[in-house]
Amino acid sequence: MVLSVNSVSVSLGRSRIVNDIDCYLRAGELLMLLGPNGAGKSTLLKAISGDLPYVGSVRFAGRELGQWRPEWLARQRAVMPQRVEVNFPLTVEEVVRLGRPKTASVGSDPVVDQLMSELDIGHLRHRLVPALSGGEQQRLQLARVLAQIIDSPGDRLLLLDECTSALDPAHQQMVLELVHRLAKNQGIAVLAVVHDLNLAAQFADRLLVMKAGCLVHEGSAREVLTPDLLEAVYGFTARVIELDEGYPMVVPRRGGLPNAYLAPGNPSCRQAS
Amino acid sequence: MIFRVVAWFLLATVFVSSAQAGDPPRVVTADGAITEIVYRLGLESLLVGVDTTSGYPEQTESLPKVGYLRALPFEGVLALKPDLLITSEQAAPEENLDRLARAGVQVEKLPSAWTPKAALERIESVGRLLGSEERAVRLASDLRSKINRIQQASSARGSEPKVLFILAAGNHSVMLAGEGTAAAALLDSIDAVNAVSGIQGYKPANREAILASQPDAIVIAESTSGQFEIRSWPEVERLDAWQNGRRLVADSMMLLGFGPRLPDAMAAVNEVLPAPSNVAANDS
Amino acid sequence: MIRDAAGRLGFAPSLAIVISAAVIVALVSITSGAYPLSVADILSVITSREASDPVASMVLLEVRMPRLLLGFLVGAVLAVSGALLQGLFRNPLADPGLIGVSAGASLAAIAVIVLGNTWLGGWLAMTGEWALPIAAFFGGSCTVLLAWRIANRFGQTSVATLLLAGIAINAVAGAATGLLTFYANDEELRSLTFWTMGSLGHAGWDDLLVGAPFMLLALFVAPWLARPLDAFLLGESVVGHLGYRTDTVKKAAILVVGLGVGAAVAVSGLIGFVGLVVPHLVRQLLGASHRVVLPLSALVGGTLLVAADSLARVVVAPAELPIGLMMALIGGPFFLALLLRTKVI
Repeated sequence: MVLSVNSVSVSLGRSRIVNDIDCYLRAGELLMLLGPNGAGKSTLLKAISGDLPYVGSVRFAGRELGQWRPEWLARQRAVMPQRVEVNFPLTVEEVVRLGRPKTASVGSDPVVDQLMSELDIGHLRHRLVPALSGGEQQRLQLARVLAQIIDSPGDRLLLLDECTSALDPAHQQMVLELVHRLAKNQGIAVLAVVHDLNLAAQFADRLLVMKAGCLVHEGSAREVLTPDLLEAVYGFTARVIELDEGYPMVVPRRGGLPNAYLAPGNPSCRQAS
Repeated sequence: MIFRVVAWFLLATVFVSSAQAGDPPRVVTADGAITEIVYRLGLESLLVGVDTTSGYPEQTESLPKVGYLRALPFEGVLALKPDLLITSEQAAPEENLDRLARAGVQVEKLPSAWTPKAALERIESVGRLLGSEERAVRLASDLRSKINRIQQASSARGSEPKVLFILAAGNHSVMLAGEGTAAAALLDSIDAVNAVSGIQGYKPANREAILASQPDAIVIAESTSGQFEIRSWPEVERLDAWQNGRRLVADSMMLLGFGPRLPDAMAAVNEVLPAPSNVAANDS
Repeated sequence: MIRDAAGRLGFAPSLAIVISAAVIVALVSITSGAYPLSVADILSVITSREASDPVASMVLLEVRMPRLLLGFLVGAVLAVSGALLQGLFRNPLADPGLIGVSAGASLAAIAVIVLGNTWLGGWLAMTGEWALPIAAFFGGSCTVLLAWRIANRFGQTSVATLLLAGIAINAVAGAATGLLTFYANDEELRSLTFWTMGSLGHAGWDDLLVGAPFMLLALFVAPWLARPLDAFLLGESVVGHLGYRTDTVKKAAILVVGLGVGAAVAVSGLIGFVGLVVPHLVRQLLGASHRVVLPLSALVGGTLLVAADSLARVVVAPAELPIGLMMALIGGPFFLALLLRTKVI
């Protein structure tokens, strides 16, 4: 098991944002985390990244997160945050190289070149980051994150928080195909927070659904993406079409928002499950 | 190390002897009162530079200014190639004075003169340093007799009038003179006392303290003429001493410099002090 | 071609340019001053042991040389400190002066001057001639820490809060300094004038001896922080993801800034704007990577301060302008221009 998360809870101030979550991830598995805004997805991801204090246990490659030396962990596990804002005039190549091990800092680095061309930012390599578009910056951050672990031996884990939110459809497809390929060919375990249900259906091996800080459902796309569950979790009605490609597609209905959205009650784990 | 000390020593003697040999010495003064003394002795032709506190007499304007007495630059002074730097205890920084001495400049720090006696001694010291001791002694004894006359008059008063001493430095900045100041020393020299007590040095004026001081006379020292505006200080204007004309507004360098204008300062202040009967009336 | 692929001046050519500029400025500085020294005089002092003119040798070896070296070190340290703070705070407006570090350091130093023979007598007895730099170091470090705490209260660095905190810290330190001034006697006041104006006018080998170890230590530790500081430019959490110990890096940077600025303030008083102007210029020309910014800021900062000091001692000769005043004249308008050009802070 690359990642095992046992009874993890996170509290910010007095409120509990993530409540008693268990999950696990195998090598080469692409796990996607779904759920409405405020469900606690990003918070859970931050806890697993070690950015937030948590109760419970997060084990990576069999070892508790806190027991890893930071510099070793950085070679095996990479984290892409939801937003990375760069205000200083660094170039694209400089930022990607930040992900590389310290020794590989002189001369050209084939891994960096390869990643930049695969993420379609090779032509931007000497451009200044603050001047890039949002989508270009997102691809750049993914390149930096992948540069950290792509040539490391042993168990590897990739944590992605909405890594396609600023991309056009073609680039969304390109990025997730790359991630999918790396998972399958290189055995990298991927945990990704996503909002696009159809992208999740297309690429995920397994889906986790969170609501109000709790894990409410887990399974394949076909098991999870049902009209009933969508209504229970997101509160909207949708049609689910089984595609020839072998995965379902979610088509929201117009006017399908229930009253719950106009007057949201106090959400709790039990209600949702 | 020893070699260097010897070298500096030789250098210093060379300079001193060259000064004595023929050419008149080149002198820099850094202290307003000392500069005044040099002018009073008629030796201003020796001066090659003064500091920024030297603003009297007006002829000082044409001399190079080496900066503020308390931040004397080493190279700036040295560039004037002086044989002698006469300054007071206030001079700083110590490092630069030390270096000037080692570069062969004779550095003389005269003690601050806050009594008439010390002021006269300082005049004699300056004269001795410039090789005009006789002239200096004559000036000193001349001033001494003036001072004695003033002091006889003031001690004949038989009482110690209270004086409010104000220093006007900036536009709205007005300081009260407390203990341990040249102002207190000036009052002391003519048997007057400070109307405010419990202040050390010059401290920003407290308007209520001015009203409470109930002085017999008011002295205001301005660093530039016309600086003190009585309209901004109704408390001062309301004081009996001001209303009765027992007030003096004068140049601060004259009043507080303890230079050759000391008798003028003493006389001017003494003049506005009340006669004995008035003091008694005020006390009752 | 001297420009790199990004259209910026490459590291090696810019290093060459800056070093030549530093050498030229050093030569100008060593040959200019109120006391006239010709190049021939200088050569004769350098080549012959037994100088023909002992005064020339003294002006050169005991005044201009230590002043040149001290000026260069102070400029380098202030510029590097500025670069470190800007990286740490991810903001180009952070500066040891603006966020109050210099004020904190000078407050501590002034406290030692004024209270040295009363409340702080024990401190003086304990530390001897190191009393000022060590006190200034503590003052500086505590202020960086304070500014950091205030600006990071809600988990992310707020620039507005940082600058406001700087104003508040400067105000409090200024008030405390004023209070000390109020109680200072005449002789102590004399020393204080020098602190608030910033000056190299008294610089000698003994100042260098006291200040240089701290400043050199700061300058040599700083390059170790270059890579993690680059990571800081992407955000504080990214630093940890990339395998650096965020807290260690932060503490090291704060320590280096406190050490460097403390020592600089101890030997030369308050000199502003070097830390703001220099790293900004370097970044504009050469990019933001700290492996470039830190060494070049040091060189440019040192050169700039030496140039400003040379100017300060000739413009009103035989008197001297305080170097702090000179830098404020250069840096103030620059800062304003920077503010106007920065759209969002």
